[in-house]
Amino acid sequence: MPALNTVGHSTPRIDAVERVTGRAKYTNDVQLPGMLYAKVLRSPHPHARIRSIDTTRAQALPGVKAILTHETTPVVWGAGGIAGGQQYNDEVKKITKHRRYAFNNPVRFVGEPVAAVAAENRHIAEEALRLIAVDYEILPFVLEPEAALESDAPKIWPEGNIAVNNRNEPLPITQKRGDAHAAFATAPHVFEDRYSTSFVHNAQMEPRSAVAHWDGDKLTLYTPTGGISNCQHDMARDLGIADEKVRVVCHYMGGNFGNKNQNQDGDLITAMLAKAAGAPVKLEFSRKDDFIGMHGRWPTVQYYKVAVDNDGTLQAVQLRGYSGMGPYRKNSGAIGGIELYRCPNVDHVVTPVYTNRTVSANFRGPEFPQGFFGIQSMMDDVAYKLNMDPVEFGVKNMSRMFRDEVPFTNFTLEECIRRGAELFDWTQRWRPLPGADAGPIKRGAGFTYMLFRSGLGMSSAVVQVDANAKYTLFVGVTDVGAGAKTTMGLIAAEALGVPLSQVTVVWGDTDRCPYSVGESGSRTTIMTGYAVMEAVRDLKQQLAEKGMPTGSQTLVAKASPNPRLEGKVRNAFGAHFVEVEVDTELGHVRLTKYVAVHDSGRIMNPLTATSQILGAATMGVGMALHENLVYDQKSGQPLSAGFYYDRIPTHLDAPTVEVSFVENDDGYGAYGAKSIGESGIILSPGAINNAIFNAIGKRLKDLPITRDKVLGALA
Amino acid sequence: MNEKLPDSPDWTRREFLAGTSAALVVAAAAAGTLEAQTPGAAPAIAVDPAVPHSTIRLTVNGVARDVEVEDRWTLAELLRDRLGLTGTKIGCDRGECGACTVLVDDQPVYSCSNLAVWMDGRRVTTVEGLSNGGPLTPLQQAFVAHDAAQCGFCTSGQLMSATALLKRNPRPSAADVKAALAGNLCRCGNYNRYVDSVVAAGGGVRSSVGGDQ
Ligand code: FES
Ligand code: FES
Repeated sequence: MPALNTVGHSTPRIDAVERVTGRAKYTNDVQLPGMLYAKVLRSPHPHARIRSIDTTRAQALPGVKAILTHETTPVVWGAGGIAGGQQYNDEVKKITKHRRYAFNNPVRFVGEPVAAVAAENRHIAEEALRLIAVDYEILPFVLEPEAALESDAPKIWPEGNIAVNNRNEPLPITQKRGDAHAAFATAPHVFEDRYSTSFVHNAQMEPRSAVAHWDGDKLTLYTPTGGISNCQHDMARDLGIADEKVRVVCHYMGGNFGNKNQNQDGDLITAMLAKAAGAPVKLEFSRKDDFIGMHGRWPTVQYYKVAVDNDGTLQAVQLRGYSGMGPYRKNSGAIGGIELYRCPNVDHVVTPVYTNRTVSANFRGPEFPQGFFGIQSMMDDVAYKLNMDPVEFGVKNMSRMFRDEVPFTNFTLEECIRRGAELFDWTQRWRPLPGADAGPIKRGAGFTYMLFRSGLGMSSAVVQVDANAKYTLFVGVTDVGAGAKTTMGLIAAEALGVPLSQVTVVWGDTDRCPYSVGESGSRTTIMTGYAVMEAVRDLKQQLAEKGMPTGSQTLVAKASPNPRLEGKVRNAFGAHFVEVEVDTELGHVRLTKYVAVHDSGRIMNPLTATSQILGAATMGVGMALHENLVYDQKSGQPLSAGFYYDRIPTHLDAPTVEVSFVENDDGYGAYGAKSIGESGIILSPGAINNAIFNAIGKRLKDLPITRDKVLGALA
Repeated sequence: MNEKLPDSPDWTRREFLAGTSAALVVAAAAAGTLEAQTPGAAPAIAVDPAVPHSTIRLTVNGVARDVEVEDRWTLAELLRDRLGLTGTKIGCDRGECGACTVLVDDQPVYSCSNLAVWMDGRRVTTVEGLSNGGPLTPLQQAFVAHDAAQCGFCTSGQLMSATALLKRNPRPSAADVKAALAGNLCRCGNYNRYVDSVVAAGGGVRSSVGGDQ
């Protein structure tokens, strides 16, 4: 892979100075003249029918300018709960039976919006919420997916509690090949186990907020979105206006981590309040609003059955999985992981189930961290039971073709694993006999590997040059924290053959930037980056034909490529190796070494790419050891909403992560770039769990692995 | 519209696609600068005369000023909404995250958990006051070089806690930094970068992260 001039060199972000001086403007920093402040009243009940809402006392409070409820505002939030996770499909929105409104009746989870108020300041808005009287008819509720499938479970929707797909069918997600049943009957070893994962909140540092103002019939919306173009379209569709009548602006946002490549109910509510009040409105979510009102990772229960030959060759894998979706199916509820293994017989059935909890949705690597935790813990356990080194078991059984059928554009998984084992010093740190350390503090090592999609797709970019050879790149990215605008600038500079300083990047505004695919699915660098290359190719052709512009002239080139892969699958690969120290008296787990090896294709900017892996691995530590939106089973109330009780990792919890990239250029994407933002979190929960097993000789099966569970396993 | 808007509303995509390119270049150039916040610009939030309020005298980023505040306002509200110093962020508004950290008489405090009226006679420093329009401090430079800010939302708080640390301990170890910044959460999980930045700014050796250079 020949080196490039600009791409591939560690480069500080082009907006780094704004970020360290407080000049970067986030949504809540926007102040408009005459702006009102909004707050949302949320359901205190997990399931209830609203008999009536009395807003008269709130209306009478001086300074209150507008109040919305389900009665005044029956607007569908199209991206909020369209079946099967097809949130961008307008057709599905029309036919779905399980429609989600901005305000719903009945309310189906604690935290569901019931009313919204706009007032002259936030204190009046808060006071007004207290004056709204809601008469609820309390309904029975159910919190756990398996309980929701019992025949006597309370029905969250009239059709039952299996989440419907985009054709209104209550069907599980299935994958089958071979005959797993027959293999289980004949294989020499069959193992079964149950794993579970918790609801983990995105908990991005910036609480959700939105600022909306109407200029005649045109809406301008400032909101922390990872996809200004998709958000614009969603808003237009939900409000019943043309796309051009909506302008979405997001220049900086305080973290994404999933479900932000669209509009939010808060965006709709803010726009409708601004219309009703005839003034700009800023909506501010409290941290609790954000935790219970918005989405997190779907919790899962996973039952595995695995058949193996005497030599450790996999014969069959069966999964029966259940995902808790909350009362709306916002996304798929799938459980990833089966595709990690070469296996002739696969029987995979995952049922997404409605529950009366906060809605579940895509969160960084949507279906993989939970699924990989389950299957990689299961397979680690199988390796020990066969007296095999888990690394050798993994290399022996890993997929080498996608679903054993389709070749990858390149395949470096074994290289990632081997390099990781070497950097980590696996043979020294791994204990062939788990739990063998003497004394109360025991060490152990664990590993996981992964593959993750890196497909191609459509996006756009525009590039322009003026007579002073100043290049301007227009891209519809927002920069959720991964550094997209810097990356796009680097790609443009490389393609143009000019220094980065000669390229100005314009981003984050639908009135000024072309469509971009949106920052979700780790695809901006691949897709929008490739569009940048294509736009530059066009511009260079124009320059060759017409020469440099003179005077006030400019040359402009636009590209919207939609590249396709034929007969191949494109994946990123990786392996994480973790050493832990478990205090068997206190149950405390400390990470003492962490090595992360990734093939994310060619690395555009090693500085920011490394940050992605560091951050994602650390986020995975939270999922592995701490985070869980705990519910009181009797009352249906969420108990751990907020940073303190949810215990997202702090400086003191973060491991020192050594990052290594296996770089290559498979000829696709922008200079061979593959996905990176999500892959880091996929590996850590399983690797940490496997290291804990190696340290204490007891297999933990339920996330998060809190101290009480460690002590319980040792008791 | 005032100059504090983060964008210019004048440019439409239609103009842009039609190739009115002179205008576009202006818009593009503006993109980098319009984020600039003018401290002390016209107050966005007025004091509600119907609620208890007071006039306090405090020093903000080196400038002494008399300010009228509602007694219920937090220091964060005063800074962000009244004084336009929006570099201080609200992550939780309840003392759990540290995004709102500022210095009061050189001590790091959560501005969401202190009332504005308590600031009478005190000296407040915010992220805008670190370089005060001049060159970046060595700590800010280290943050840039080490890619400390991913989304950047926790960054002001990390900077303020680290500034206080370097004042009392000019050459902190990684362990010192972690202890001093334990109250500053970063959901982007960029802790290794933050620790490296602070250690480097103190003249120490880069320690936490391996493999990227
Ligand atoms: S905003 Fe003050 S501690 Fe979180
Ligand atoms: S950089 Fe995003 S929260 Fe710290």
